[in-house]
Amino acid sequence: MINPFEEFKSFSPSPPDLPMDQIVQSAEAVMDRIRWGYEKLLEEEAKELVWMVQYNTIIKAYELAERYIMEIDYTAEDIEEFCFALENTRKIPYLIPGPAGIYISALCNYSKEEEIVLKLSELKTEINLIGFRLPKGKRLIIEGDTGDFTGIGLEGGELVVEGSAKNWTGAGMKGGKILIKKNIGLHTGEWMMGGEIYVGGRVRGLGNIVVGMVYVRVYQVFPGKVKYPNLYY
Amino acid sequence: MGKNGYQKQVMEIYQFISEHLYFNRPDMEVKGERFNSAILLSLLTSLKRGKELIIGEPGLGKTTSAEFVSSLIYQLPLGVIWGSEVSGHPEQTEEKIIGRPDLGKLNRGEEDVVWTNFAQIPVKIVDEINRLPETKQSMILDGVDRGNWEYLNEMIINEEYCLFATANYQDGGTNTIIAPLVDRFDVMVESRYPGPNLSFLIAKDRRKDHLLRHPQYEKDLYHILKSKIPYEKKIAKIEEVSNAYGEYLQETLGLKSFRKQDRDRICTEMESLELDLDASAFTRMLLAELSFCDRYGQKRVIENCEEGCHYTGYLCHQIKNCASNRLPLSIKQYAQGLTWLLDDSEIDMEHIKSIAPYTLAHRIQWKEEVLSQKERLQRDDPFPIFLAKEAVIAVSKRYREQSDHLKDALAVGSRIFQGDPLQPIEGDHPLYLEIKKDIEARRR
Repeated sequence: MINPFEEFKSFSPSPPDLPMDQIVQSAEAVMDRIRWGYEKLLEEEAKELVWMVQYNTIIKAYELAERYIMEIDYTAEDIEEFCFALENTRKIPYLIPGPAGIYISALCNYSKEEEIVLKLSELKTEINLIGFRLPKGKRLIIEGDTGDFTGIGLEGGELVVEGSAKNWTGAGMKGGKILIKKNIGLHTGEWMMGGEIYVGGRVRGLGNIVVGMVYVRVYQVFPGKVKYPNLYY
Repeated sequence: MGKNGYQKQVMEIYQFISEHLYFNRPDMEVKGERFNSAILLSLLTSLKRGKELIIGEPGLGKTTSAEFVSSLIYQLPLGVIWGSEVSGHPEQTEEKIIGRPDLGKLNRGEEDVVWTNFAQIPVKIVDEINRLPETKQSMILDGVDRGNWEYLNEMIINEEYCLFATANYQDGGTNTIIAPLVDRFDVMVESRYPGPNLSFLIAKDRRKDHLLRHPQYEKDLYHILKSKIPYEKKIAKIEEVSNAYGEYLQETLGLKSFRKQDRDRICTEMESLELDLDASAFTRMLLAELSFCDRYGQKRVIENCEEGCHYTGYLCHQIKNCASNRLPLSIKQYAQGLTWLLDDSEIDMEHIKSIAPYTLAHRIQWKEEVLSQKERLQRDDPFPIFLAKEAVIAVSKRYREQSDHLKDALAVGSRIFQGDPLQPIEGDHPLYLEIKKDIEARRR
């Protein structure tokens, strides 16, 4: 019987090389590297799955995070992807809000983009320490709520939180701007050395602010009438 | 260009016709080169010995384009070509088309045939074929299909021939060309209005056809055609005069024409060109869409598509008839011609995509709803060619999306035919099912 497909007998299909496949493949490779850095950070800094927020632990964790992410070529989308991977994949064993926040902050600070938007409103856990040391020229927008220590040690960048932030927001910040669209917790601006904090909702209490300004809605509350920390508004 | 320079010669003829004889606007593009489809396809018809239907408004050069091309390719003076044309009118007879009894011999009780020039010379031009009654159309196309011309008990066989038929758009005096006859034409092309500026130039130079006239050679050729020597000997003598006319063309116009052996060699070179895998798979995909019916096994003009058929998005849902076996032959022949002319080594998808619309335009019977839906769309081509071009573009898009998968399916089909215990590859196109059908037929 005649083989009507005779001319195709020597055809060996090359594996599909679709652009989308390449994108997915390269995105997965980047994510693997980011994940690896986070795991290394946990190994070093949270051996007992406990992490105490202290000045020196934060600095040490950040330095480690810097070291791991320096070698990765990533984009803002990869950071957002990582935030979701923290909760949604089994590949990342633990979400410890402190180191996770330090690591995400380092990723943001070293990213190529000047403006980064992280859509975190779907996350069940509020991540601490987001915006740590955000440098001048960077704008970080968080869609959703953040945990404690949001924007601490801010170094001139602009941090916008579309939802609420918890306690110690802007603590030790040296310059820049923090905008919280909704509410903010206690110790806001503790040992703040410069910059501005704007709050669209309520502030539960201010910390001991050294230098800087705090506005609630249209009112400037620091420097102003406030004499005592943790005054309830 | 090829080492014997034939392609260059053809392109020189193309240029000469474009610049001196048939003013036109290019209307098709192949691999970055722009051509006028009427001249290009007529050249390929002459060289590839095909059958071409030229449509168009009256007076827009349907017949003259065919005459100029065949005069230059076959080295026949224009007067001889004019004298062997068949013009379409209802009173046309077999005796005027093919041959008549030799009345002198008949009076002496002998039976002999006087063959017409049309039956004898390799270039056959039928002017206004749709004015011929359908039986006469059929007679011509039967003769041209086989190359045999029979009258009384005698027969002559044309070894080399091509057919050009012209047709006006439908008016009161025209008959339709019935589908089986239309299918015998390899390609359909429109001879188009060149625009008012070029048309104005045509009016200024009314005697352009004298360039291809040569009264002496015309007389010589008529004398040979009328003579009573056997047809094979006539052909040899015609060739001698044609060669002399070819030399005259070269001296006066600087155009190198083609001798019989050149034309044979060109044909052989064209025949040797094969389709590459993409061109082959794409052509199969096109044929599948033009013949497939999931419900009834194949397209049939008397059957309608089922409501809600899965294959609604394919051409099979838009057309009434089934692609004939002549279609792939026409596609391959003309693609070979084009590939050869462009001096490419293999027929690729571009060649097929350029040629396919002209091979499909007259063959596809579109459903009424498709016609009414697209009739008013802005276009530059006559409606059937426009629809065929759209169809080829649609299929080529589908091919791009799944070319590797499709080639893989065909490769697996080949391996199954060779006895490998594989399963045919599934896919969402009629061709995958057709591959399966072939495999099942083999297994049974």
